[in-house]
Amino acid sequence: MTLEQMMDLPGALAAFSYTDKGDITGHQIREGTEITPQILDLLAHSCVANMAVATLEARGWESLTGQKGFEPLQGFSMVGLEWSVVVGDRCGVILRNRDVNYEASFNAVQACTA
Amino acid sequence: MHIVKQLMAIPGVIAAGEFAYRGDRFSFEGALTAEYARMASILCRSNTMSVNMQSEIFDSFAANCGCKPMQGWIVRGAQASVCNVGNYFAFIENRPDLLNDVMTIMRAKVGDIGDDLLVNLYAKIGGDVKEALY
Repeated sequence: MTLEQMMDLPGALAAFSYTDKGDITGHQIREGTEITPQILDLLAHSCVANMAVATLEARGWESLTGQKGFEPLQGFSMVGLEWSVVVGDRCGVILRNRDVNYEASFNAVQACTA
Repeated sequence: MHIVKQLMAIPGVIAAGEFAYRGDRFSFEGALTAEYARMASILCRSNTMSVNMQSEIFDSFAANCGCKPMQGWIVRGAQASVCNVGNYFAFIENRPDLLNDVMTIMRAKVGDIGDDLLVNLYAKIGGDVKEALY
């Protein structure tokens, strides 16, 4: 799935791809939104960090409790006041909360080829 | 109906709970031991504080960008996910439509989280918020 196709998700405001260090490699921003390339850059870095922390927590949780099913992580989402960002390994999408479909968004970032 | 009970009534919800302040005051229902629920509460509180801090940074670069205050977060695992809204958390199976349903209920029932997260979390256990925090 491309960034252009991710922009077709319900409520999509922006879509972006990034390196494993969080540097933006491509982005699409819907006109008229408050999202800026600078925000995407910060978001991508925070999402890489959050995925790493979540992996640590999932690994620790599975080891301590014996409960399985978290690893390998599929993605992470931060839910803001007006929008949510959903990220996978290399791609993310920002979606308006009133329209967001989290499952479709996680599937989309997993299938992202950008 | 209490939020946790309402979440636990949904097939596929493994456990749900509520935490306050440092994460060491909590209540829960479902397939967790008390010790695991305590660990989960501390983990959720820590992640909540972290994403809240990140939203402050985003907001400093673009005021009113729509992210602050942060309302919650989701970790999507291979077969299970963790959802957190405010001071409530839910462990759920990855069943079709369950994540959307759980998030819709949590956002609707918990309501919008205000600007001061610590005060919000501490207020859940009562007491003199200002004296205890500052």
